[in-house]
Amino acid sequence: MHEGGNIQTHVVKNGRHRHPEAFEREKLHKSIVAACLGSGAPTGNAESTARRVVDEVVSWLQKRPEVTSNDIRRVAAKALRTYHPDASYLYEHHRSIM
Amino acid sequence: MDIFTSLAIIAFAALIHASFQLSVSVLTLLSSHTIGAKRSRAKLLRLTSSFVGGAALMSLLLLVSAAFVFLQLFGAPVSLEVWAIACSVVLGIGVAVWLFYYRTKKAGTELWIPRAFAKHLTSRTKATRASVEAFSLGLTSVISELIFIIPTLTISALILLELPSQWQLVGALVYTLVSSLGLIVVWSLVGSGHSISRVQKWREKNKRFLQFSAGSALVALGFFIYINEVVALATGVL
Repeated sequence: MHEGGNIQTHVVKNGRHRHPEAFEREKLHKSIVAACLGSGAPTGNAESTARRVVDEVVSWLQKRPEVTSNDIRRVAAKALRTYHPDASYLYEHHRSIM
Repeated sequence: MDIFTSLAIIAFAALIHASFQLSVSVLTLLSSHTIGAKRSRAKLLRLTSSFVGGAALMSLLLLVSAAFVFLQLFGAPVSLEVWAIACSVVLGIGVAVWLFYYRTKKAGTELWIPRAFAKHLTSRTKATRASVEAFSLGLTSVISELIFIIPTLTISALILLELPSQWQLVGALVYTLVSSLGLIVVWSLVGSGHSISRVQKWREKNKRFLQFSAGSALVALGFFIYINEVVALATGVL
């Protein structure tokens, strides 16, 4: 299922009129780095944590052709909790700040 | 009502305004996105300072606008009927804050505002890059929480009309400064390097207390004004 580092899983996003999109590793990496930095982690630590979390999410995505963005968020938050609980909290709840 | 009591009521109303969380939510999001986008600390401070400045200016503008409109409509000093209507608005919104302020019983600090409005504010916050955008976001965020701050603005504006003209400016400045305290606290925490997750965790942990205290304070303010202005004037005590 791997193709050039990316996997062929489609992500169904929240909301109406949204078509499934191909899973983007870089997008997930960026959002996890942002959560780590927002939780006070240094940049290098944030990058390495994000790489590890993305690897865990990618392995979870194997053999799953279609998932929702909420599934990815939930799995990523669970993986992130091991490395940085504060970042996991921010990642999980940043949509419910307002 | 003497000048000290008037200023104390304005400060108390402004403190209730400060306890409302929409502007604080926007500031928290703005800080989170700015840090997450790896922008410099100087940029973070510029954006958050501009946001707080915009919010403070809009609070001041809304207060003086309300005072001007009330002066044109009702003259000064205002009649018993106007005070009675203002008190019922304060009491009504106080009870509404008790019941409806936060949207869900789940985790998070989602507020009882239209979701489309919240989404728009969130997308504008994400798109904010320049200080002028942050400033206008501060202006907008205060307008967005107008439904909650109508009672504090109304009472403060009516009290301002009773003050001597030289004290009206002091009253308006007291309201602006005190109503910005919540933002100033978050701004200083973010500026001094506290993590956004800690700020947000504190907000979530204490959200029910903030909701209860804001609602209770509004009810107390409504009763106090009712007794002090309506009952006292009607019975001829004052």
